[in-house]
Amino acid sequence: MAEHVILFTGPMGAGKTTAIQSLSEIEVVRTEANNSERHVVDKATTTVALDYGEILVGAQEKVRLYGIPGQKRFNFMWTILKKRAKGMVLLVNSDAPDPLGEMTFFLNEFRELYDRGGVVIGITRSDVVDGPGVADFAEALERTNPGLVIPVFTVDPRLRHQMQNLLLTLVVNIEMRAAFGLAAARPA
Amino acid sequence: MSTGLHMKPVVVEAATTLLTEMNAATGSLTYAALLTDDGFDVARFPAKTDGARFAGMASSMQALGDAVTHELSIGDSEYIIIASGKGHVVQLRVPGQELVLSALFDNDATVGHALAVTRSFAQKMADLLA
Repeated sequence: MAEHVILFTGPMGAGKTTAIQSLSEIEVVRTEANNSERHVVDKATTTVALDYGEILVGAQEKVRLYGIPGQKRFNFMWTILKKRAKGMVLLVNSDAPDPLGEMTFFLNEFRELYDRGGVVIGITRSDVVDGPGVADFAEALERTNPGLVIPVFTVDPRLRHQMQNLLLTLVVNIEMRAAFGLAAARPA
Repeated sequence: MSTGLHMKPVVVEAATTLLTEMNAATGSLTYAALLTDDGFDVARFPAKTDGARFAGMASSMQALGDAVTHELSIGDSEYIIIASGKGHVVQLRVPGQELVLSALFDNDATVGHALAVTRSFAQKMADLLA
């Protein structure tokens, strides 16, 4: 059975835990603690180690879903988790103080996952604020990381079908790039 | 809107006093920290050290311990011990509080002694905040 390990990254409050909850076909392993920073992001709990879920794509491909804690003080977990991942779903909430900056920050932090497999970006909470849209994210992406092929979507992490589309896009992206890599390595 | 325990002077002061007393009570204590469940440093001994990174790690460890006991259906996690060649880390929750006490002892202390001391001072912290 083929397996993929996908990391869900992005700032606190972007919807990483919710996205894994929506996608997973097993009970999600969660590591939540009450949130001391409600003045920063107003939500009751926050992930402090990881989230873990699983989903089968097709009949044979198991995708392991790991979510990171979004706060920088947990970046030792980022180092641990990114070692085992092959691709990244980067979620950025439109109502963050600097959504485009967050995208660039997390992309740079986890850049090796693009090189190793692939990345997709999901913009969340775009329905609650009039923040930057897909075109703004794509433009910022091209400006800060020219030449990277990274699909950008708006998504609601609570909606399973939207998250499935995002995840499948990433899996196809990873497999296509792997196939091209193999083809390039073969003698003509 | 609630404020984190690490931002409440009364909690920070009680935690600092407690860790000083803990150090006086056992010569084997090398390092100790009180931190919030979500990884904020409240106080540490020695006080001059930078506790931010360790507080994050200790809170992750506490949450992973809880996740493991949940997964195995064995109730709540009571304490965590990490043994190494140069000492052992003992960690547990302050009863009734969203606080964790994590302490490093050198090998002159047995694991049992280290656990008893840590447990006793976690209870003292709970009593101070009651």
